[in-house]
Amino acid sequence: MPLLQRADWPLLIDLYFFLAGLAGGAFVIATIAHLLGGERNRSVVRVGYYLALLAVIPCPILLIVDLGVPSRFLHMLVSFKPDPAIGAATINIGPFHIKPFSPMNMGAWALLGFSALAFLAALSVFLEDAKRGRNLSALRTTVGVIGGFFGFFLAAYPGVLLGATARPLFQNGSFLGALFLAVGASTGAAAIALILSLLGQEAGGTVGRLRQIIIPVLLLQAATLALFLLRVGMSGGEGTPQSLALLLSGPYSLIFWVGAVAVGLIVPFVLQIVTRQPGLLAISAVLILVGGFLVKYVIIAAGQVVLS
Amino acid sequence: MARTVAMFTDVSLCIGCRACQVACKQWNQLEAEEPEWTGTYQNHAHFTDKSYRLVRFFEEKDDKGGLQWNLMSDVCKHCAQAGCLEACPTGAIYRTQYGTVNINQDICNGCRYCVSACPFGVVAFNHDTGRASKCTFCNDRLHNGLGPACAKACPTESIQFGFRDELAAKARKRAEELKKMGYKNAQLYGEDQNGPLGGLNAFFLLLDKPSVYGLPEKPRLPQNNVLVDSLLSIGSALLVGIGAMVAFRERGGKE
Repeated sequence: MPLLQRADWPLLIDLYFFLAGLAGGAFVIATIAHLLGGERNRSVVRVGYYLALLAVIPCPILLIVDLGVPSRFLHMLVSFKPDPAIGAATINIGPFHIKPFSPMNMGAWALLGFSALAFLAALSVFLEDAKRGRNLSALRTTVGVIGGFFGFFLAAYPGVLLGATARPLFQNGSFLGALFLAVGASTGAAAIALILSLLGQEAGGTVGRLRQIIIPVLLLQAATLALFLLRVGMSGGEGTPQSLALLLSGPYSLIFWVGAVAVGLIVPFVLQIVTRQPGLLAISAVLILVGGFLVKYVIIAAGQVVLS
Repeated sequence: MARTVAMFTDVSLCIGCRACQVACKQWNQLEAEEPEWTGTYQNHAHFTDKSYRLVRFFEEKDDKGGLQWNLMSDVCKHCAQAGCLEACPTGAIYRTQYGTVNINQDICNGCRYCVSACPFGVVAFNHDTGRASKCTFCNDRLHNGLGPACAKACPTESIQFGFRDELAAKARKRAEELKKMGYKNAQLYGEDQNGPLGGLNAFFLLLDKPSVYGLPEKPRLPQNNVLVDSLLSIGSALLVGIGAMVAFRERGGKE
């Protein structure tokens, strides 16, 4: 068994991964709703873009607070005296550095880009609402499409980041990025649906349309989770049986099976299929949010444990 | 670039005196720490932010039912392909002109990604300074033509310092000698530059398989996963995109 250090990622990071995924998911859904009929899907576009901005605002704060030296947060992007040998394929542009094989560096860039575009998208909705007749649809298309790519990146990169560590549970999984992206989409869609139903704006079939996203995305979430576990189990990597046991039958199994799988995935999925009652669909949306957080939390918690 | 230097740790010569650990602490002015009961003479259980050298004590049953005491002075491997260096988002971790891997404390912002990216559990987080720390290969000594303090202090020459090519040749010869002497499992770890992680600049001569010494049998560069994991994420993104487009498509007259 390789002797590893504790990773020491606190709850702040789980919360960041959850919010970043939700923001990215909500933004992508709003963009697609805008592209395929902005007027008809106006409520989804509005809520989606506002939500993406609101969810991304705390993100940099969570990350900066977690740093050992918070005042150096800009070092993620800038170094004024870059050493020539700081990693494969590193691109230095002036004082900025881009490290394609450091998902944390790429993620910091993506967070910066996404935040700016989420602000512009939300601003375009706000300005249109503030003055009737103003049409910023063309601007929103550009911002939405570029921001959509950033949104996908923001939702998925934490999984890729975990995969690029030496923890047995993470580095043998391959599907963590795919899983985190699916969770981002499911939580993003669920949050939009929940807000619309709380505002009483589910008219015009919007909730039905969101259901049509939520159902396949939950299936994708289940499939990528299963593939992740299978991949870890069959990798034969050192320490994987023990790490997997922690998650599936050890101290984290209750949160995993009951929280992330039963309550957070199966129950809301069944509710989406069998009912059209707004109250139950709202409960389903809440459970999707809870499950989306727990599945990320429990995998990160189990993967951090030092085996000996 | 100067000629690559290396440390060669021959565990067959280690007597577990921990002079290396002490010399490292002294030279690098690392604070004393509360001792930790690990069940053996080993202190601490893992590398810490104040212990860059760590003599590990492993007790194993041997073939005759007796006890085999394996000692090994462990250290940062200064990998040719280093997980910590590739992971570092700030560029604080860099490769020196001697081929060693170092953390620039003036740049590190304490994100701790390198801690989980090291396949050997070497990099540790210093809660006092809020930065990551590990063996520097005595970078200051190196720049003054001296070898690392641990190698200097080792009384049995279990730890040797030199140019990598010369040291590797020496290590190969020593492994052959040990095999002739009847140590069937004697093997080099990290000496091969075509091996895992492109070879380690602190390599070892072990008397048994690596896992006996708490080393990974086949260490991998974590960043090798980035491409496949990203492609699978893109696949997932395509499915989400298609799902959303189907849901929001124009349905003529249906509403």
